[in-house]
Amino acid sequence: MNDWTFRASGVTKTYDGGKTYANRDISLRVEPGEVFGLLGPNGAGKSTLVKQIIGLLKPTAGSLHLGPHDLVADPDAARQLCSYLPQAPMPIESFKVHEAIRLTGEIRGGDRRQIERRAGELIEALQIEEWRDTLGARLSGGVRRLVGFVMVTVVPGRLVILDEPTNDVDPLRRRLLWDQIRQLGEMGVGVILVTHNVLEAEKSVDRLAVISDGRVVAEGTPSSLKVADRGRLRLQLMLTPGVATPELPSLVLDHTRVGNNLVSVIPEEKAGEGIAWAQQLMSQGIAEEYALAATTLEDAYIRLTGELPADEPEGAAA
Amino acid sequence: MTAATTTYVRRGAGHWLAGLKAMLRWHLTSLRLVLPVMVAVQLLTASGLSIGMSLFYADVDARTGLFLGTGAAIVTLVLVGLVVAPQLVAGEKEAGTYDFTASLPVPRSASVVGWVAVSAIISLPAAVIALAISGWRFDLTFDVSWAVAPAVGLVVVCGTLIGYAVAHGIERPTVTQLLSQVFAFLVIGFTPITYPPENLPGWLASVHEVLPFYHMGVILRGALTQGLVTDVSGSYLVVAAWTVLAGVVTAIAMGRRR
Repeated sequence: MNDWTFRASGVTKTYDGGKTYANRDISLRVEPGEVFGLLGPNGAGKSTLVKQIIGLLKPTAGSLHLGPHDLVADPDAARQLCSYLPQAPMPIESFKVHEAIRLTGEIRGGDRRQIERRAGELIEALQIEEWRDTLGARLSGGVRRLVGFVMVTVVPGRLVILDEPTNDVDPLRRRLLWDQIRQLGEMGVGVILVTHNVLEAEKSVDRLAVISDGRVVAEGTPSSLKVADRGRLRLQLMLTPGVATPELPSLVLDHTRVGNNLVSVIPEEKAGEGIAWAQQLMSQGIAEEYALAATTLEDAYIRLTGELPADEPEGAAA
Repeated sequence: MTAATTTYVRRGAGHWLAGLKAMLRWHLTSLRLVLPVMVAVQLLTASGLSIGMSLFYADVDARTGLFLGTGAAIVTLVLVGLVVAPQLVAGEKEAGTYDFTASLPVPRSASVVGWVAVSAIISLPAAVIALAISGWRFDLTFDVSWAVAPAVGLVVVCGTLIGYAVAHGIERPTVTQLLSQVFAFLVIGFTPITYPPENLPGWLASVHEVLPFYHMGVILRGALTQGLVTDVSGSYLVVAAWTVLAGVVTAIAMGRRR
């Protein structure tokens, strides 16, 4: 029996003769059965890493292994052993849903009967039966995304890489999709989940790495990444457009400003003082709204990357 | 939930053949919505070219008639591979779906061979119809030899591989699309296929001695007629050399990891 652990070690990609880094010294392990989140803002180097794993980009330095296979030296093995759902829409305009699934299953080396059976189960589990005979061109973005998921996991590789799998998917089916992603883990498949939806990831991944500027800036379980924020609250202020960042009182432990959004972290026991400060800023016309909430993985993310997660509305406040 | 996961890496002839079969289905299904239109456009273009030439040159001797009559079919066979593959691959790059197709676990060469077959499916019916129409309009009898199979095969493979080399070798899809237009322009207007090389300025005729397009015409004419062209074996060599070159460029471009 092979140990199908995925290992990235010192993976680096440079362009312009070493002047520009797409990613830098990335080392990770994904165990079989683990759902591993890869979080980071746009341009952080997540897609570069994914393309290196499936053999579309060659690392300038470092190694990538899946079980006994060297994925850098053997891109054929990489493409057979890894299933990849890209962020871009699947090219299935002229495929009927069941044809696209069956054909990719066969391309992935599946046995026809098993493909039919698992395709049927996935289609039912994701509640997309009514589109089984529909042409890809007539599908909504969300359904097309789900069909893409079924295509790449009908015969899953030992490592399944999903780039923003829930994009455009409605909330109900989103939950069903997460169930199926968890199921992949239960089948012993390693899953790399690329996302900037931090809250969704927090609920669904076993471990995660935050990538920023091409480097891994934190790695661990969602809880371990939140440890630093334990006993703290998030005080989010929507500043009046055009005003400078106000002077911060000493109770503010940390802050990030993105656009007019000022996200600050304060100790739990100073919640009252925090509210008083926010109300004062509103009365002075410096802030328009504020919200006080428990810290989440998002706060760790903001602290690590200096950016708000992409799904966070710029004006989020209560 | 039942599923068999991939547990070993497939290699060898069986994997290659399965990949060819699957990619042929993949390409044909991908083109399902446009394939009938493509075949129809090729049929209309080729028939139009044949009829047009017969109207333009109403009264020609048998030799000239044979030359003109084979022209439309040859242009069709030469052009389809050169134009269709680059356009479609450039479209994939623009839509962002190129990476998914490139990540499919099939041997790249099987995918290319599948595409050559698709080129043949698009161009062959049109070429046959063009010949039939020319035969009727110019009152011709073609003298088709056994060499028609290797000649058509080589021309389709060469054209498709050049198209593929351009499509995968050039990063920017807009440049690829532009080049495929240049090919169409060059082959229809400035290649001695529907007229003899003597009609071109000397320097352009010399350029065509090196480029494959004129020679593709020579080997097809050699297989469809008797005594109309000479030095067919020399033309085979030129086209074969281009096929190898385009094959190597395609292999490097498709296997290349940026």
